[in-house]
Order: sequence, then structure tokens, then C-alpha cells
Amino acid sequence: MRSTLMQQFVSVALNSLLAAGLYATMAYGLAVIYGVMRIINLAHAGVMMLGAYVTYALFTRFAIDPFLGLVIVAPLFFLFGVLLYKLFGRRMAAPGNAPSIESLLLLFGVWLVLQNTAYVIWTGDTQSILTSYTLKSMEIAGVRVGLPSVFVFLASVASLVFLNVLLKRTYLGKAIRAVTQNRDAALLSGVNADRISAIAFGIGTAFAGIAGAMLSSLMAFTPDFGRSFLLKSFCIIVLGGMESVTGVAAGALVLAILENGLAAYTSVPTSLQDAVSFALLFVALVVLPRGLPGLLAVFERRRAAQ
Amino acid sequence: MHRARPWQVILLAGFAIAMTVGSALAADDEIRVGAVLPLTGKESKIGGAYKLATEYAVKEINDAGGIDVHGKKLKINLTLLDDTSDAAKSAQLTEQLIVQQKVHAVIGGYGSQLVQAESVVPERYGVPYISGGAGASAIYGRSKWVFGTLSPVENLAQTQMDFLTDLVNAGKLKAPLKISLVRENTEHGRDFAKGVEEFVKTHPKMYSIVLNESFELYAPDFKPLLGRVQQAKGDIFMCDAHLEDYIAMQRTYTQMGLYHQMVTYGARGADEAGRKALGAATDYIFASGWWSDLLPYPQVKAFNTKWKAANGTMPQWYHACAYETVRALAAAIHKAGSLNPEAIRSAIATIELKDSILPGGVLKFSKTGEAVLPFVVTQNKPDGKLDLVWPKADKTGPPVAPIPH
Repeated sequence: MRSTLMQQFVSVALNSLLAAGLYATMAYGLAVIYGVMRIINLAHAGVMMLGAYVTYALFTRFAIDPFLGLVIVAPLFFLFGVLLYKLFGRRMAAPGNAPSIESLLLLFGVWLVLQNTAYVIWTGDTQSILTSYTLKSMEIAGVRVGLPSVFVFLASVASLVFLNVLLKRTYLGKAIRAVTQNRDAALLSGVNADRISAIAFGIGTAFAGIAGAMLSSLMAFTPDFGRSFLLKSFCIIVLGGMESVTGVAAGALVLAILENGLAAYTSVPTSLQDAVSFALLFVALVVLPRGLPGLLAVFERRRAAQ
Repeated sequence: MHRARPWQVILLAGFAIAMTVGSALAADDEIRVGAVLPLTGKESKIGGAYKLATEYAVKEINDAGGIDVHGKKLKINLTLLDDTSDAAKSAQLTEQLIVQQKVHAVIGGYGSQLVQAESVVPERYGVPYISGGAGASAIYGRSKWVFGTLSPVENLAQTQMDFLTDLVNAGKLKAPLKISLVRENTEHGRDFAKGVEEFVKTHPKMYSIVLNESFELYAPDFKPLLGRVQQAKGDIFMCDAHLEDYIAMQRTYTQMGLYHQMVTYGARGADEAGRKALGAATDYIFASGWWSDLLPYPQVKAFNTKWKAANGTMPQWYHACAYETVRALAAAIHKAGSLNPEAIRSAIATIELKDSILPGGVLKFSKTGEAVLPFVVTQNKPDGKLDLVWPKADKTGPPVAPIPH
């Protein structure tokens, strides 16, 4: 009995960790763009879908593995993001701290254009990628987990490390953080905020493309792909504190633990998985408007006061 | 006040008469049929297939001289509109066809959600409506003008249970059997679950449902749900899912190393996209469908041959259903002997299309307007092979049960 409970606990923990990897990957790009530009990128789902199709094209035409294909997908989507910024950047810029309505509408329009372009190029047929390891699994602590999920998790950890190194250890990262914290002050300090915004939009778009590429190794897709992931990503970045990539990873883990834990230890229907996300979004907005990093900051202050 | 001059009155009257005569002539010269289909957007894949088959059937009828309406051969003038997979637009275009194009009948779209939106319009104008692409029971029985050539999804589940019961009776499966029932949170999924639940209620000694769960469409992670399936320790896994969810779920099912004596994803399983995405992981999955090109009827073989000659590929179930929808309407118009909407409606309600290519070979409609047809059951075999395993009399290979572990 005890060993069964232990086994179940290990299974929930492991599955939560793997799901968190997937969720975080979906949300990094959204968080980077929001952090720097105060823009909610509604085209994120469209870019994820495009990432899946580009990966599919690389796999079917040139036999490039979806995970190896990331070295092509990432720079390609970075350039695509910079191009998008150059085309629409001025219209997207928000004067204050709140996202502008114009940017929301514009990016929603970009999403629709991407979606319909995909319908024209690839039709509405369901596509998928079947590699030699798609159906393979490995055993970790007595729990069978799918190999693609493990690869997605590893890629997610690598993304987190990359973003943290980029933001904290490089001049570009410092400039991005400066623009994130105070755009006007950054401008006065000689930072080219427009260039930094273009690069940040490129990085965010690249991560959306990477997310799409990784999702294509897990599931089937059509041009309508990405909608439900966008909503989940919103919940994660709100929970993660909107601007912090480590916060995003923590938010993804909280959501994944909640979903897997509820399924394993309660009789709450799994069809309410999305409702769990939105309830969490609601709680985060009301109780933790600055997300998990805000909560940690409160604890830090209390500890310092003592 | 300006008074019209006599020549103006005559001209106006002449114009009015000409218009009336013109429209009367138009009404007698052709049969105006409207169709609303999702040719773009998320339902465009099968919507496009419905267009192809609808136009093919209309061309076939017109090439043969048209429909004999009370001794006069009339050709079909088809107006086909794209609803872009949008339910509101679907209803609006149906109304447009009736009000502006003054169609004699409407051929409905594909997808229960879209057809549901369209199906409220015919009642307002008293125009016969026949759909070949919606099996949700909620659409039918509310209006006497609405018909559908897809048998209800509830019957799909019933057919699968009949098939399983036959395997039990043949000694291939051992009762009592525990069923893990999982379905998408849609009208389609609810009807499927209802069909299984009702069958189990009437066969309590043979079956029990140990898990009854629903899931949202396009879920990113099926592990929590399949964890429950694993814990339920059922003998049979019955799921109703869209193609994308079927692929994602069966991948996770395989990775988790789950096993059940029999596995079905409702109507999914034989799809080429599914087999391409899952490879050997689809072997032995059984699926129910509204049609199969493996049906051994002579009319099916003839249809397969002429379809392949015209389109280069073998027909799929959606081609067959769209084709039969047009044929049923044509037969009803011939039977009605008039283009009067009530006469056509009444003819559809009582028609018996005896050379139908659909399972059972006879297409007729119930009082609620749904087709009364059996389903076929197919089972995937290794190396991409597929066998028709139900109805028993039409099977092309023996059912494999239980699935080899």
C-alpha cells in the first residue's frame, strides 16, 4: 500500500515536471515580449503553429529531426520576429505601462493572416511527425515516460539556462532588463530602446517557433493549432510574474502539479483541466498581481525585517 | 402629386408580368439546389471532400439528362457557398440561399456545430434541408424540414457494443468486461457515451463501466487522464475523439505501456493520417464508420471504380455520404413529381433508396429525420492492412480479439 502511494507520488511528480517543461517552453516567448514591450503577443499561437509546420517541412523534405531542426527554426523565427517588429513596431509600441488596444488588434490580425496563409500552403489536413523515438519510452524511478517528453523537458531547461545567461550575463541582456524596468531611463542612459525591442521581439518569436517545433514532436497539428496553448501560456506568465523567465518556469510547474495532482488524488473531472488554469489565473490576478516572484519578494522583505 | 402616364403604367405592368413569367420559367426549367460547406477554415479538409462529392453527384445526374419531374427532365443548378467553418456565417448563407437564390432545397454542411446553426433556418421558410455531415442527435427532431444521411453517433456506440458482444459470444473475449469510457466534451462525445451507457444498462451481467471521463478538445497533455485510465484497470478502452486528440492520446497511451483487450477511438482508427502519425501503434484498434469502401455490395464496387477513375483516389466515407445525400434528394424530387417544397419534404420523409451504397443498402429516414442505417466496424491489422469486421455477413477478415499483448 505504502509503496503504491509512493509510486503514485513519484509518477505525479515526474509527469508534472515533464508537463512543466512543455508549458514553460510555450510561455517563455510570451513573457520576453511582454517584459520588454508591454505587448500581449496574440500572434504567439500563430507563430507556434508556423514553427510546427516549418519543423514538419524540414522533417519530410530534408529528413531533419525535429529537435535537431531547432538550430534552423530558432534563428529563422528570430529573423521573422525582427521583420515583424520592423514592419509593425511603431504601431505596437505602448506609450505607458499597459498594452495598447492597437497592438492587441494588430497582433490578432497577424495571427489570422498566419493561420490563413497556412491553410493556403498546407490545407486543413492534419499533419504529424513520426520519428523512430516518437512512441518510445524510458523508465525513470519505476515510471514510464515518453522519450519526446523527456527531450522537450531538456530543451526547456536549456532554454531557461540560455535566457538567464543572456539576460543576466551579457550586455544585451542588461540592456533588455534596463528597457524592461524603465524604458525612458534606459533611453537616457544611451540604450537604443528601439533596437532592443526589435531583438526582444525576435527572441520572443524565436521561442514561440521553438515551442511549436517541440509540440510538433508530441502531437498532430492543423493551421488552427496553438489556440488552447495560448490561453494556458497567459495563465503561466501571469502566475510567473509577467517579466521573469524563472518565474515562468515556476508558474508552469505550479500549473502542471495542480493538473496532475488533481487527476491523481481527487475525483475532479479531467475535463476541468482548463478551468483549473483559469481559476489559477483569477487567483493570481486578485491575490498575487505580481505573480510568484512578487510573493517571494514579500517573504524576502519579511525575513529582512525580522 | 405626380400621376403616371398610361404608357408608364403599361410599361410597368409589362415589366412585372415579364418578371413573373421569367421567374416561373426559371422555376420550371431547373432545380435550384443550394449547399453551404466549410471550404476554408478548420473543417476545410472534409468540407472540401464534401464539395468534391456533391459536385460529382450533381454532374452525374445532369450528365444523365437531369431528374425526371412529372415527365419532364430538369437539371440541377447547384449554388455552393463557403461558410469558412464559421457557424454564424453558415446560418446566414443558408438564409441567403433560400431568400435570394430561391433554392428548392438546401444540402447541409459538414460538422455538427455548423449544421446545428444551419438547421434552424429551413423551418422559418419551409424549405427542405438534407445534410450529409452531422451525426449529433440534438440537430434532428426539432423541425420537420431537416434530414440527415449520417446515422446518429449513439448508434455508432451501439454498433461497437454489438460487435464486442459478438466477440464474447464467440468466446474470443470473456465476460464480465470492465469498460474504461473516455470521450471528448462535445455533443458527439456525449452521444457516444450515452450509447455505451444505455447498452451497458441493458447488459449488466456482461459489462460494467469502471471509468467515465470527458476531456477538452486539443488538450496539450493526456497523461493525467490516462493515469486515471491506468488506475481504473478496465478490460476495454473506449474513447471518442477528434483526429488530433486521437493521435496525441494514442501516442501517450503507447508510451505509458497501457494495455486493454480491445481499444477503440469511436470513428477514428482507420484514418490514413492517424496511421501515418502512429505507425504500428494503431494495429488492432477497431473503429466504427458510416461507410467503408470494403463493403461487398455491387453498387459499392461500381461506385469505387467510377470514383477512382474520376478522382484518382479511393473514396472515403465522407465522399460516399455526400454522394448519397445528393442522390437521396434527387430521388425525393423525382418521387414528389414537383418542385413544391412540401411535396419534396414529404418525399424525403418517406423515401427508401434501395440501391444505396451506404451500409445496409437501403437509405431511409426516421421520424426525427435521421438516417436509419447500421454502422460498419473496421479493425486495423499490421502492415497498414484494414479489415471490415462488422456487419458479420460483410466481413473481409476475422476480428482479432483480444489484442495480442
